[in-house]
Amino acid sequence: MNPASNNPATLVFEGACWKFGHNVPTDAITPTRLVWKTFDEMARHCLESLDPDFPRRVRPGDILVAGRNFGCSSGRAAAPKALAATGIGAVVAERFSRTFYRNGHEVGLPILEAPGIHAFVEPGDRLHVDIANGEVRNARTGRALRTSPPPPFLLDMLRAGGLIPYLKSESNPLMSVR
Amino acid sequence: MDAVVNMIEKILARAGRRPRVEPGDVVVADVDLMVMHDLSASFVTRVFREELDGAAVHDPSRIVFVFDHNFSAPTEEGARRLHRVREFAAEHGIRVFDAGSGSLHHVIIESGLWAPGQVIIGCDSHTPIHGALGAFATGVGNNSMAAMGFAHSKAWFRAPETVQVRLEGAPHEGVTPRDAAQHVVGSLGEDSAIYQALEYAGDYVEGLSIEDRCLFPLMSIDLGAKAAFIDPDAKTEAFAREHARAGFELVRNDPGCRYADIVRIDLAAIDGPQVACPPTVGNVRPVREVQGTPIDIAEVGGSTGGRLRDIRTLVRRLDGRSVHPGVRLQVVPANRGIFKAALREGLIEALVDAGAIVCPPGAGSNQAVNMGAMCAGETMISNQARNFPGRNGSPEARHFLASTDTVAVSAATGRIADPRG
Repeated sequence: MNPASNNPATLVFEGACWKFGHNVPTDAITPTRLVWKTFDEMARHCLESLDPDFPRRVRPGDILVAGRNFGCSSGRAAAPKALAATGIGAVVAERFSRTFYRNGHEVGLPILEAPGIHAFVEPGDRLHVDIANGEVRNARTGRALRTSPPPPFLLDMLRAGGLIPYLKSESNPLMSVR
Repeated sequence: MDAVVNMIEKILARAGRRPRVEPGDVVVADVDLMVMHDLSASFVTRVFREELDGAAVHDPSRIVFVFDHNFSAPTEEGARRLHRVREFAAEHGIRVFDAGSGSLHHVIIESGLWAPGQVIIGCDSHTPIHGALGAFATGVGNNSMAAMGFAHSKAWFRAPETVQVRLEGAPHEGVTPRDAAQHVVGSLGEDSAIYQALEYAGDYVEGLSIEDRCLFPLMSIDLGAKAAFIDPDAKTEAFAREHARAGFELVRNDPGCRYADIVRIDLAAIDGPQVACPPTVGNVRPVREVQGTPIDIAEVGGSTGGRLRDIRTLVRRLDGRSVHPGVRLQVVPANRGIFKAALREGLIEALVDAGAIVCPPGAGSNQAVNMGAMCAGETMISNQARNFPGRNGSPEARHFLASTDTVAVSAATGRIADPRG
């Protein structure tokens, strides 16, 4: 089952901020020793080597904010799947590694690239993330950060809940491959 | 006049069955070859079985599984996973290179199942290595591979902008192609090429063998790149004639094709052998800054380090010396052909005499599936591809990446050492 398939199709999220640094590798999101476990079990250890509180205290709808090159190293799709299984609403980063960016959309994990996001938030801030409009608002500071939304093709994939439901839908432009 | 385009744009246009492709276009392309190792084959086959409503495999002859992280399942659970992949392969007629065959991409190269001009996708982030052979090659996720690759022999791509990286000048003595490749990652930065393709060019690249050229596209994922390539030349063609089974036609850049950027790197400015230090592949420093660091494990092997030339260099550098007491030296040939050649040349015997641990061909310590785990406080130096904390056991272990020469002299002395003496 795709663990992200329950995410709302509006692509608008509101939650408390968890903040991570630059170059967070998939090795830290889902260490290889765990990639065979269930997604719930992976979620219970997700990012624990960088912040032991994260898997224990993350609440559904929280927002993960990271720096540059989030999800680098192995391109394992288990990483975005496990993050989705933590119940996280969305992941916002300065920049994603290309494998994580592709996998995130394909598994239906809402993600947004927003240069400047790292300095824009502190842990615990209440954030409002609107992926389709490319906007993040910080309730503590009252400020808004604008960014480019993903291309329409990837937005449609996210709204469908990932690549597989997208391919099964009637309206996708990849229909010709069916 | 026809548009002026590069190798990748031509390959994607052919495979996407359209007159031309420009950077930014989303292309659904025919895929010629799909490659997975034992870990990703397990994930992809599970997605295919569980999420695709009984879809059929479109063309099993384009799919290859190589079991490289396991040379012998260490647990019952692991054995069951490999067994399921073998069952899936038998059911659908997919070719398996089972445990002991070697590291994924080196088995593919040895097998001759590739050809220049192909679209190659892999559930492995180092798939861009085949760009050194004139193919468009990139890593994709499990869902892409199952839902579009297995079911339709297709993949979606956003056609990348291309940056040309010109490697010029002659490096100083002791600076090997691996040092140059690490210097490129360190100096450009590990997220500098995200979503882009890199073309390696310049006198230095032209002068390298295909085996050494492979290091640059291979390490490009750690610059963030989607793909990397070297415009095919006479060396590419000769290598393909020798190894590729299928007929092929080289696909080359049009003269005067445009780039999003051109970056020049002066290799003469490299400050000696280069070591990628924890915690990332991009944390590259001259060996003099880390020499003297005590090590517990030295490894020569896997996708970046188990080539015949690496094993020859290791034996030459050991020069009859034994591995330093307390250090484990692990040697992992990248495929069976390399292993046999090393046996014929007496290299394996020399390594056994030196006290090395000679492992079956495979991925070696990459991700510590079958070997290569460290506890907190341990240190490894290797010519493997990745050093992220937690990738080899404890996040509090340290992993340094270096050339074969640097790994060899470190194994002999027990500390990170400068191969120039």
